[in-house]
Amino acid sequence: MSEENQSCSQPSNAEPTATRSTVPMWIIVATLLLVFVGFVFFDKHSGWFDPKVYAPYGTADELASSQPVSEAQMTLALGKKNFETYCGSCHGNDGLGKPGMAPPLAGSEIVIAKGFHRLSYIPLEGLNGTIKVKGQDWSLNMAAMGAALPDKDLAAVITYIRESWGNKASDVSADDIKAIREEIKAPAQIQGPQLDSIPE
Amino acid sequence: MKTGFGVFFAVTVTLGLSWLGFVVAPAVQLGSAKQTQVLISGETWPLQQTGEATLGQQVYRANGCVACHTMQVRQESIICDVVLAKPGKNPAAVSNLLSTLKLSGLSKDEAADVSQKISDAGGTPDTRIAVTGPDIKNGWGVRRSVAADFLYDAPVQLGNLRVGPDLANIGARSTAALLLQHLYAPRSINQNSAMPSYKFLFTVEKAGSSPDALKDLPKDIMPAEGLEIVPTTEAKQLAAYLLSLRADAPLYEAPFTPAAKP
Repeated sequence: MSEENQSCSQPSNAEPTATRSTVPMWIIVATLLLVFVGFVFFDKHSGWFDPKVYAPYGTADELASSQPVSEAQMTLALGKKNFETYCGSCHGNDGLGKPGMAPPLAGSEIVIAKGFHRLSYIPLEGLNGTIKVKGQDWSLNMAAMGAALPDKDLAAVITYIRESWGNKASDVSADDIKAIREEIKAPAQIQGPQLDSIPE
Repeated sequence: MKTGFGVFFAVTVTLGLSWLGFVVAPAVQLGSAKQTQVLISGETWPLQQTGEATLGQQVYRANGCVACHTMQVRQESIICDVVLAKPGKNPAAVSNLLSTLKLSGLSKDEAADVSQKISDAGGTPDTRIAVTGPDIKNGWGVRRSVAADFLYDAPVQLGNLRVGPDLANIGARSTAALLLQHLYAPRSINQNSAMPSYKFLFTVEKAGSSPDALKDLPKDIMPAEGLEIVPTTEAKQLAAYLLSLRADAPLYEAPFTPAAKP
Protein backbone atom coordinates (compact mmCIF):
# COMPACT_ATOMS: atom_id res chain seq x y z
CA MET A 1 0.00 0.00 0.00
CA SER A 2 1.27 3.47 -0.79
CA GLU A 3 1.65 6.08 1.88
CA GLU A 4 -0.86 8.32 0.19
CA ASN A 5 -3.50 5.64 0.23
CA GLN A 6 -2.87 4.83 3.82
CA SER A 7 -3.20 8.39 4.90
CA CYS A 8 -6.51 8.65 3.07
CA SER A 9 -8.15 5.57 4.54
CA GLN A 10 -6.66 5.65 8.03
CA PRO A 11 -7.34 8.53 10.31
CA SER A 12 -4.24 7.83 12.42
CA ASN A 13 -0.83 6.35 11.54
CA ALA A 14 -1.49 3.26 13.64
CA GLU A 15 -0.89 -0.14 11.96
CA PRO A 16 -4.22 -1.89 11.23
CA THR A 17 -4.66 -4.86 13.54
CA ALA A 18 -7.06 -7.75 13.67
CA THR A 19 -8.60 -8.89 16.88
CA ARG A 20 -8.93 -12.54 17.80
CA SER A 21 -12.27 -14.13 17.11
CA THR A 22 -13.33 -17.76 16.76
CA VAL A 23 -14.75 -19.28 13.58
CA PRO A 24 -18.53 -19.38 13.99
CA MET A 25 -19.74 -22.81 14.97
CA TRP A 26 -22.33 -22.94 12.18
CA ILE A 27 -19.62 -22.81 9.51
CA ILE A 28 -17.87 -25.81 11.01
CA VAL A 29 -21.11 -27.76 11.30
CA ALA A 30 -22.22 -26.84 7.79
CA THR A 31 -18.85 -27.84 6.32
CA LEU A 32 -18.87 -31.18 8.09
CA LEU A 33 -22.43 -31.82 6.95
CA LEU A 34 -21.50 -30.98 3.37
CA VAL A 35 -18.48 -33.30 3.53
CA PHE A 36 -20.66 -36.06 4.96
CA VAL A 37 -23.32 -35.68 2.28
CA GLY A 38 -20.59 -35.62 -0.37
CA PHE A 39 -19.07 -38.85 0.90
CA VAL A 40 -22.43 -40.57 1.08
CA PHE A 41 -23.16 -39.51 -2.51
CA PHE A 42 -19.74 -40.74 -3.62
CA ASP A 43 -20.11 -44.10 -1.87
CA LYS A 44 -23.61 -44.58 -3.18
CA HIS A 45 -22.48 -44.15 -6.75
CA SER A 46 -19.41 -46.39 -6.26
CA GLY A 47 -21.38 -49.41 -5.13
CA TRP A 48 -20.50 -48.69 -1.47
CA PHE A 49 -16.95 -49.80 -2.33
CA ASP A 50 -18.10 -53.34 -2.99
CA PRO A 51 -15.10 -55.16 -4.55
CA LYS A 52 -17.44 -56.85 -7.04
CA VAL A 53 -18.99 -53.67 -8.41
CA TYR A 54 -17.21 -52.06 -11.35
CA ALA A 55 -18.28 -49.37 -13.79
CA PRO A 56 -20.71 -49.19 -15.56
CA TYR A 57 -22.62 -50.59 -12.59
CA GLY A 58 -23.42 -48.21 -9.75
CA THR A 59 -24.69 -50.58 -7.09
CA ALA A 60 -24.56 -54.25 -6.15
CA ASP A 61 -28.28 -54.52 -6.92
CA GLU A 62 -27.80 -53.12 -10.38
CA LEU A 63 -25.03 -55.66 -11.00
CA ALA A 64 -27.13 -58.53 -9.65
CA SER A 65 -30.00 -57.60 -11.94
CA SER A 66 -27.66 -57.45 -14.96
CA GLN A 67 -26.62 -61.09 -14.81
CA PRO A 68 -27.52 -63.00 -17.93
CA VAL A 69 -30.50 -64.95 -16.69
CA SER A 70 -30.92 -68.03 -18.70
CA GLU A 71 -32.44 -70.67 -16.47
CA ALA A 72 -32.18 -73.18 -19.28
CA GLN A 73 -28.44 -72.64 -19.75
CA MET A 74 -27.80 -72.69 -15.99
CA THR A 75 -29.69 -75.95 -15.59
CA LEU A 76 -27.81 -77.59 -18.44
CA ALA A 77 -24.47 -76.42 -17.01
CA LEU A 78 -25.36 -77.80 -13.57
CA GLY A 79 -26.53 -81.03 -15.15
CA LYS A 80 -23.35 -81.37 -17.19
CA LYS A 81 -21.19 -80.86 -14.11
CA ASN A 82 -23.08 -83.45 -12.06
CA PHE A 83 -23.32 -85.88 -14.95
CA GLU A 84 -19.59 -85.81 -15.49
CA THR A 85 -19.01 -86.32 -11.77
CA TYR A 86 -21.47 -89.13 -11.08
CA CYS A 87 -22.50 -90.72 -14.37
CA GLY A 88 -19.77 -90.02 -16.91
CA SER A 89 -17.31 -92.66 -15.73
CA CYS A 90 -19.69 -95.46 -16.85
CA HIS A 91 -22.01 -93.85 -19.39
CA GLY A 92 -19.22 -91.76 -20.91
CA ASN A 93 -19.09 -87.96 -21.00
CA ASP A 94 -20.23 -88.25 -24.60
CA GLY A 95 -23.33 -90.24 -23.60
CA LEU A 96 -22.37 -93.13 -25.86
CA GLY A 97 -22.08 -95.66 -23.05
CA LYS A 98 -19.30 -98.18 -22.58
CA PRO A 99 -19.54 -101.72 -23.94
CA GLY A 100 -19.98 -104.23 -21.15
CA MET A 101 -20.50 -101.48 -18.59
CA ALA A 102 -23.33 -99.09 -19.28
CA PRO A 103 -25.74 -98.55 -22.16
CA PRO A 104 -25.69 -95.37 -24.27
CA LEU A 105 -27.91 -92.47 -23.23
CA ALA A 106 -27.75 -90.73 -26.60
CA GLY A 107 -30.80 -91.89 -28.48
CA SER A 108 -31.85 -94.38 -25.80
CA GLU A 109 -35.62 -95.03 -25.85
CA ILE A 110 -35.88 -94.70 -22.07
CA VAL A 111 -34.09 -91.35 -22.05
CA ILE A 112 -35.96 -89.69 -24.90
CA ALA A 113 -39.38 -91.08 -23.93
CA LYS A 114 -42.20 -88.54 -23.84
CA GLY A 115 -42.39 -88.82 -20.04
CA PHE A 116 -39.47 -88.75 -17.64
CA HIS A 117 -41.08 -90.92 -15.00
CA ARG A 118 -39.49 -94.27 -15.83
CA LEU A 119 -36.13 -92.64 -16.52
CA SER A 120 -36.12 -90.86 -13.14
CA TYR A 121 -36.70 -94.12 -11.28
CA ILE A 122 -33.39 -95.55 -12.48
CA PRO A 123 -30.98 -93.14 -10.70
CA LEU A 124 -33.26 -93.06 -7.64
CA GLU A 125 -33.52 -96.82 -7.16
CA GLY A 126 -30.72 -98.37 -9.19
CA LEU A 127 -31.16 -101.11 -11.74
CA ASN A 128 -30.18 -104.75 -11.81
CA GLY A 129 -30.67 -107.32 -14.56
CA THR A 130 -31.12 -107.24 -18.28
CA ILE A 131 -32.78 -104.45 -20.24
CA LYS A 132 -32.98 -103.64 -23.93
CA VAL A 133 -31.49 -100.36 -25.18
CA LYS A 134 -31.40 -99.46 -28.89
CA GLY A 135 -32.08 -103.09 -29.82
CA GLN A 136 -29.27 -104.50 -27.71
CA ASP A 137 -29.49 -106.44 -24.47
CA TRP A 138 -27.56 -104.95 -21.57
CA SER A 139 -26.92 -106.85 -18.39
CA LEU A 140 -26.49 -104.29 -15.66
CA ASN A 141 -25.96 -103.67 -12.02
CA MET A 142 -26.31 -99.98 -11.40
CA ALA A 143 -26.44 -98.48 -7.91
CA ALA A 144 -28.92 -95.74 -6.96
CA MET A 145 -26.48 -93.07 -8.07
CA GLY A 146 -28.94 -90.20 -7.85
CA ALA A 147 -30.59 -91.03 -4.54
CA ALA A 148 -28.23 -88.83 -2.56
CA LEU A 149 -28.32 -85.87 -4.96
CA PRO A 150 -30.54 -82.87 -4.13
CA ASP A 151 -33.73 -82.64 -6.20
CA LYS A 152 -32.42 -79.65 -8.14
CA ASP A 153 -29.17 -81.39 -9.12
CA LEU A 154 -30.84 -84.64 -10.13
CA ALA A 155 -33.44 -82.73 -12.15
CA ALA A 156 -30.59 -80.91 -13.88
CA VAL A 157 -28.81 -84.18 -14.69
CA ILE A 158 -31.97 -85.73 -16.14
CA THR A 159 -32.73 -82.57 -18.11
CA TYR A 160 -29.15 -82.58 -19.37
CA ILE A 161 -29.23 -86.19 -20.61
CA ARG A 162 -32.64 -85.61 -22.19
CA GLU A 163 -31.38 -82.57 -24.13
CA SER A 164 -27.80 -83.43 -25.05
CA TRP A 165 -26.02 -85.45 -27.73
CA GLY A 166 -28.92 -85.02 -30.14
CA ASN A 167 -31.61 -85.95 -27.62
CA LYS A 168 -34.57 -83.61 -27.76
CA ALA A 169 -36.94 -84.33 -24.89
CA SER A 170 -38.69 -82.13 -22.33
CA ASP A 171 -37.29 -80.51 -19.18
CA VAL A 172 -37.60 -82.03 -15.73
CA SER A 173 -38.05 -79.71 -12.76
CA ALA A 174 -36.94 -80.15 -9.16
CA ASP A 175 -40.62 -80.41 -8.17
CA ASP A 176 -41.10 -83.34 -10.53
CA ILE A 177 -38.21 -85.19 -8.91
CA LYS A 178 -39.59 -84.37 -5.47
CA ALA A 179 -42.94 -85.87 -6.44
CA ILE A 180 -41.28 -89.03 -7.76
CA ARG A 181 -39.19 -89.35 -4.61
CA GLU A 182 -42.36 -89.21 -2.53
CA GLU A 183 -43.93 -91.85 -4.73
CA ILE A 184 -41.07 -94.26 -4.04
CA LYS A 185 -41.70 -95.16 -0.43
CA ALA A 186 -39.16 -97.94 0.01
CA PRO A 187 -36.39 -97.67 -2.59
CA ALA A 188 -35.30 -101.06 -3.85
CA GLN A 189 -33.15 -101.83 -6.86
CA ILE A 190 -35.32 -102.29 -9.93
CA GLN A 191 -35.03 -105.80 -11.36
CA GLY A 192 -34.64 -105.76 -15.17
CA PRO A 193 -38.15 -106.58 -16.45
CA GLN A 194 -39.82 -104.55 -13.69
CA LEU A 195 -38.68 -101.42 -15.50
CA ASP A 196 -41.38 -101.82 -18.14
CA SER A 197 -44.07 -101.85 -15.47
CA ILE A 198 -43.14 -98.33 -14.36
CA PRO A 199 -45.27 -95.84 -16.29
CA GLU A 200 -43.39 -93.49 -18.63
CA MET B 1 11.13 -27.74 20.44
CA LYS B 2 7.90 -26.39 21.83
CA THR B 3 6.05 -27.67 18.77
CA GLY B 4 7.82 -31.03 18.66
CA PHE B 5 4.85 -33.00 19.80
CA GLY B 6 2.53 -31.19 17.40
CA VAL B 7 4.80 -31.92 14.42
CA PHE B 8 5.14 -35.57 15.44
CA PHE B 9 1.39 -35.85 15.80
CA ALA B 10 0.68 -34.23 12.43
CA VAL B 11 3.22 -36.43 10.62
CA THR B 12 1.83 -39.58 12.25
CA VAL B 13 -1.72 -38.70 11.32
CA THR B 14 -0.80 -37.82 7.73
CA LEU B 15 1.24 -40.96 7.11
CA GLY B 16 -1.20 -43.09 9.09
CA LEU B 17 -4.16 -41.93 7.05
CA SER B 18 -2.44 -42.66 3.74
CA TRP B 19 -1.34 -46.07 5.06
CA LEU B 20 -4.93 -46.81 5.99
CA GLY B 21 -6.20 -45.62 2.62
CA PHE B 22 -3.56 -47.13 0.35
CA VAL B 23 -2.57 -50.30 2.22
CA VAL B 24 -5.18 -51.36 4.73
CA ALA B 25 -8.34 -50.49 2.79
CA PRO B 26 -7.34 -52.37 -0.41
CA ALA B 27 -6.15 -55.34 1.68
CA VAL B 28 -9.51 -55.46 3.46
CA GLN B 29 -11.33 -55.11 0.16
CA LEU B 30 -9.41 -57.55 -2.04
CA GLY B 31 -6.85 -59.25 0.19
CA SER B 32 -8.94 -62.37 0.59
CA ALA B 33 -9.75 -62.72 -3.13
CA LYS B 34 -9.94 -66.33 -4.26
CA GLN B 35 -10.55 -68.15 -7.48
CA THR B 36 -14.06 -67.55 -8.65
CA GLN B 37 -16.47 -69.23 -11.05
CA VAL B 38 -17.23 -68.47 -14.65
CA LEU B 39 -20.89 -67.66 -15.22
CA ILE B 40 -23.12 -70.38 -16.63
CA SER B 41 -20.41 -72.98 -17.27
CA GLY B 42 -19.27 -72.90 -13.61
CA GLU B 43 -15.60 -73.40 -14.53
CA THR B 44 -12.89 -72.11 -12.22
CA TRP B 45 -11.41 -68.65 -12.92
CA PRO B 46 -8.62 -67.78 -13.22
CA LEU B 47 -6.59 -70.95 -13.66
CA GLN B 48 -3.15 -71.13 -12.07
CA GLN B 49 -0.47 -70.21 -14.63
CA THR B 50 1.96 -72.83 -15.81
CA GLY B 51 5.48 -72.59 -14.44
CA GLU B 52 6.77 -71.38 -17.79
CA ALA B 53 4.24 -68.55 -17.85
CA THR B 54 5.11 -67.53 -14.28
CA LEU B 55 8.77 -67.23 -15.35
CA GLY B 56 7.66 -65.43 -18.49
CA GLN B 57 6.03 -62.76 -16.37
CA GLN B 58 9.45 -61.89 -14.99
CA VAL B 59 10.79 -61.67 -18.55
CA TYR B 60 7.90 -59.33 -19.36
CA ARG B 61 8.88 -57.28 -16.33
CA ALA B 62 12.62 -57.29 -17.06
CA ASN B 63 12.16 -56.10 -20.63
CA GLY B 64 9.92 -53.25 -19.62
CA CYS B 65 6.99 -54.32 -21.76
CA VAL B 66 4.71 -52.56 -19.28
CA ALA B 67 6.10 -49.21 -20.44
CA CYS B 68 4.19 -49.46 -23.73
CA HIS B 69 1.52 -52.09 -23.14
CA THR B 70 -1.44 -51.98 -20.82
CA MET B 71 -3.26 -54.99 -19.49
CA GLN B 72 -6.66 -53.57 -18.71
CA VAL B 73 -9.68 -53.54 -20.96
CA ARG B 74 -12.30 -50.91 -20.25
CA GLN B 75 -15.97 -51.06 -21.01
CA GLU B 76 -18.53 -48.35 -21.31
CA SER B 77 -21.86 -50.00 -21.06
CA ILE B 78 -23.90 -53.05 -21.92
CA ILE B 79 -26.51 -53.59 -24.59
CA CYS B 80 -29.12 -56.30 -24.55
CA ASP B 81 -30.74 -58.43 -27.21
CA VAL B 82 -33.84 -60.42 -26.46
CA VAL B 83 -34.27 -63.75 -28.20
CA LEU B 84 -37.05 -66.27 -27.97
CA ALA B 85 -35.84 -69.40 -26.17
CA LYS B 86 -39.08 -71.36 -26.32
CA PRO B 87 -42.25 -70.32 -28.18
CA GLY B 88 -44.55 -71.90 -25.60
CA LYS B 89 -48.14 -72.99 -26.14
CA ASN B 90 -49.21 -70.21 -28.47
CA PRO B 91 -46.42 -69.76 -31.04
CA ALA B 92 -48.58 -67.74 -33.45
CA ALA B 93 -49.39 -65.06 -30.90
CA VAL B 94 -45.76 -64.91 -29.77
CA SER B 95 -44.39 -64.53 -33.28
CA ASN B 96 -46.98 -61.82 -33.98
CA LEU B 97 -45.82 -60.03 -30.87
CA LEU B 98 -42.15 -60.42 -31.80
CA SER B 99 -42.68 -58.76 -35.16
CA THR B 100 -44.00 -55.63 -33.42
CA LEU B 101 -41.16 -55.32 -30.89
CA LYS B 102 -37.64 -53.95 -31.13
CA LEU B 103 -35.47 -56.87 -30.00
CA SER B 104 -31.85 -55.77 -30.36
CA GLY B 105 -29.70 -52.90 -29.11
CA LEU B 106 -31.83 -52.40 -26.02
CA SER B 107 -30.95 -50.96 -22.65
CA LYS B 108 -31.37 -53.22 -19.64
CA ASP B 109 -34.73 -51.73 -18.68
CA GLU B 110 -36.06 -51.93 -22.23
CA ALA B 111 -34.96 -55.56 -22.40
CA ALA B 112 -36.79 -56.30 -19.14
CA ASP B 113 -39.94 -54.71 -20.60
CA VAL B 114 -39.73 -56.74 -23.79
CA SER B 115 -39.05 -59.96 -21.85
CA GLN B 116 -42.10 -59.29 -19.69
CA LYS B 117 -44.27 -58.84 -22.78
CA ILE B 118 -43.01 -62.09 -24.28
CA SER B 119 -43.57 -63.99 -21.02
CA ASP B 120 -47.08 -62.55 -20.80
CA ALA B 121 -47.80 -63.94 -24.24
CA GLY B 122 -46.64 -67.38 -23.10
CA GLY B 123 -43.14 -67.56 -24.63
CA THR B 124 -39.85 -67.94 -22.80
CA PRO B 125 -37.50 -65.02 -23.54
CA ASP B 126 -33.74 -65.09 -23.14
CA THR B 127 -31.76 -61.87 -22.70
CA ARG B 128 -28.31 -61.77 -24.28
CA ILE B 129 -25.95 -59.17 -22.83
CA ALA B 130 -23.13 -57.72 -24.92
CA VAL B 131 -20.46 -55.29 -23.78
CA THR B 132 -19.65 -52.03 -25.58
CA GLY B 133 -16.77 -49.58 -25.54
CA PRO B 134 -13.80 -48.49 -27.67
CA ASP B 135 -11.48 -51.18 -26.28
CA ILE B 136 -14.04 -53.86 -27.07
CA LYS B 137 -14.47 -52.38 -30.54
CA ASN B 138 -10.69 -52.56 -31.05
CA GLY B 139 -10.85 -56.29 -30.46
CA TRP B 140 -8.79 -56.08 -27.29
CA GLY B 141 -11.26 -58.05 -25.21
CA VAL B 142 -14.82 -59.14 -24.74
CA ARG B 143 -15.41 -57.56 -21.34
CA ARG B 144 -13.70 -55.21 -18.90
CA SER B 145 -10.79 -56.42 -16.79
CA VAL B 146 -11.57 -57.10 -13.16
CA ALA B 147 -9.41 -57.82 -10.11
CA ALA B 148 -9.99 -61.57 -10.36
CA ASP B 149 -8.09 -61.68 -13.68
CA PHE B 150 -4.85 -60.73 -11.91
CA LEU B 151 -5.09 -63.18 -9.02
CA TYR B 152 -1.86 -64.98 -9.90
CA ASP B 153 0.09 -61.99 -11.24
CA ALA B 154 3.06 -60.90 -9.14
CA PRO B 155 3.54 -58.05 -9.65
CA VAL B 156 0.38 -56.89 -11.39
CA GLN B 157 1.55 -54.95 -14.45
CA LEU B 158 -1.48 -52.95 -15.47
CA GLY B 159 0.47 -50.35 -17.42
CA ASN B 160 -0.69 -46.83 -18.14
CA LEU B 161 0.51 -46.06 -21.65
CA ARG B 162 -0.77 -47.55 -24.87
CA VAL B 163 2.00 -47.23 -27.41
CA GLY B 164 1.20 -50.81 -28.29
CA PRO B 165 -2.09 -52.65 -28.04
CA ASP B 166 -3.65 -53.80 -24.81
CA LEU B 167 -2.53 -57.32 -23.87
CA ALA B 168 -5.20 -58.33 -21.36
CA ASN B 169 -6.66 -60.84 -23.81
CA ILE B 170 -3.70 -61.50 -26.15
CA GLY B 171 -3.75 -65.22 -25.37
CA ALA B 172 -7.15 -65.52 -26.99
CA ARG B 173 -6.12 -63.94 -30.27
CA SER B 174 -2.57 -65.09 -30.94
CA THR B 175 -0.39 -68.16 -31.21
CA ALA B 176 3.09 -68.96 -29.94
CA ALA B 177 4.56 -68.88 -33.46
CA LEU B 178 3.08 -65.45 -34.22
CA LEU B 179 4.19 -64.02 -30.89
CA LEU B 180 7.75 -65.27 -31.33
CA GLN B 181 8.00 -63.88 -34.83
CA HIS B 182 6.59 -60.60 -33.55
CA LEU B 183 9.20 -60.45 -30.81
CA TYR B 184 11.96 -61.17 -33.32
CA ALA B 185 10.84 -58.73 -36.00
CA PRO B 186 7.71 -56.73 -35.13
CA ARG B 187 7.45 -55.10 -38.56
CA SER B 188 7.32 -58.42 -40.31
CA ILE B 189 3.85 -58.82 -38.80
CA ASN B 190 2.62 -55.26 -38.52
CA GLN B 191 4.28 -52.83 -40.92
CA ASN B 192 3.59 -49.80 -38.74
CA SER B 193 4.63 -51.34 -35.47
CA ALA B 194 6.53 -49.03 -33.14
CA MET B 195 7.84 -51.93 -31.13
CA PRO B 196 11.59 -52.47 -30.94
CA SER B 197 12.91 -55.79 -32.09
CA TYR B 198 13.82 -58.20 -29.31
CA LYS B 199 16.42 -60.02 -31.37
CA PHE B 200 18.59 -60.58 -28.32
CA LEU B 201 16.02 -63.12 -27.11
CA PHE B 202 16.94 -65.28 -30.12
CA THR B 203 20.10 -67.00 -31.31
CA VAL B 204 21.20 -67.88 -34.82
CA GLU B 205 22.11 -71.55 -35.05
CA LYS B 206 23.00 -74.06 -37.72
CA ALA B 207 19.88 -75.26 -39.53
CA GLY B 208 18.23 -78.29 -37.99
CA SER B 209 19.71 -77.75 -34.53
CA SER B 210 16.44 -77.06 -32.70
CA PRO B 211 12.81 -78.07 -33.20
CA ASP B 212 11.74 -74.66 -31.79
CA ALA B 213 13.34 -72.67 -34.63
CA LEU B 214 11.12 -70.03 -36.21
CA LYS B 215 9.46 -71.34 -39.33
CA ASP B 216 7.88 -69.73 -42.40
CA LEU B 217 9.64 -66.40 -41.91
CA PRO B 218 9.22 -63.71 -44.57
CA LYS B 219 12.17 -63.44 -46.99
CA ASP B 220 13.62 -60.18 -45.65
CA ILE B 221 14.22 -61.47 -42.13
CA MET B 222 15.22 -64.97 -43.13
CA PRO B 223 18.73 -65.88 -41.96
CA ALA B 224 21.41 -66.95 -44.44
CA GLU B 225 21.26 -70.34 -46.07
CA GLY B 226 22.01 -73.14 -43.63
CA LEU B 227 21.15 -71.11 -40.53
CA GLU B 228 18.02 -70.80 -38.41
CA ILE B 229 16.66 -68.55 -35.69
CA VAL B 230 16.09 -70.26 -32.36
CA PRO B 231 14.20 -68.62 -29.50
CA THR B 232 16.03 -68.65 -26.16
CA THR B 233 14.37 -69.97 -23.01
CA GLU B 234 13.38 -66.40 -22.08
CA ALA B 235 11.63 -65.87 -25.41
CA LYS B 236 9.68 -69.11 -24.99
CA GLN B 237 8.74 -68.20 -21.42
CA LEU B 238 7.59 -64.75 -22.52
CA ALA B 239 5.46 -66.27 -25.27
CA ALA B 240 3.99 -68.76 -22.76
CA TYR B 241 3.14 -65.88 -20.43
CA LEU B 242 1.51 -63.86 -23.21
CA LEU B 243 -0.52 -66.89 -24.25
CA SER B 244 -1.71 -67.31 -20.66
CA LEU B 245 -3.21 -63.79 -20.67
CA ARG B 246 -6.92 -64.14 -21.16
CA ALA B 247 -9.92 -62.12 -20.06
CA ASP B 248 -12.67 -63.71 -22.07
CA ALA B 249 -14.84 -65.54 -19.55
CA PRO B 250 -18.05 -64.00 -18.22
CA LEU B 251 -17.76 -63.37 -14.49
CA TYR B 252 -20.28 -62.17 -11.94
CA GLU B 253 -18.61 -58.76 -11.74
CA ALA B 254 -18.34 -58.39 -15.53
CA PRO B 255 -21.33 -60.27 -16.92
CA PHE B 256 -22.11 -60.87 -20.56
CA THR B 257 -23.64 -63.68 -22.53
CA PRO B 258 -20.96 -65.89 -24.07
CA ALA B 259 -21.31 -66.95 -27.65
CA ALA B 260 -22.82 -70.41 -27.81
CA LYS B 261 -20.18 -73.07 -28.36
CA PRO B 262 -20.68 -74.86 -31.66
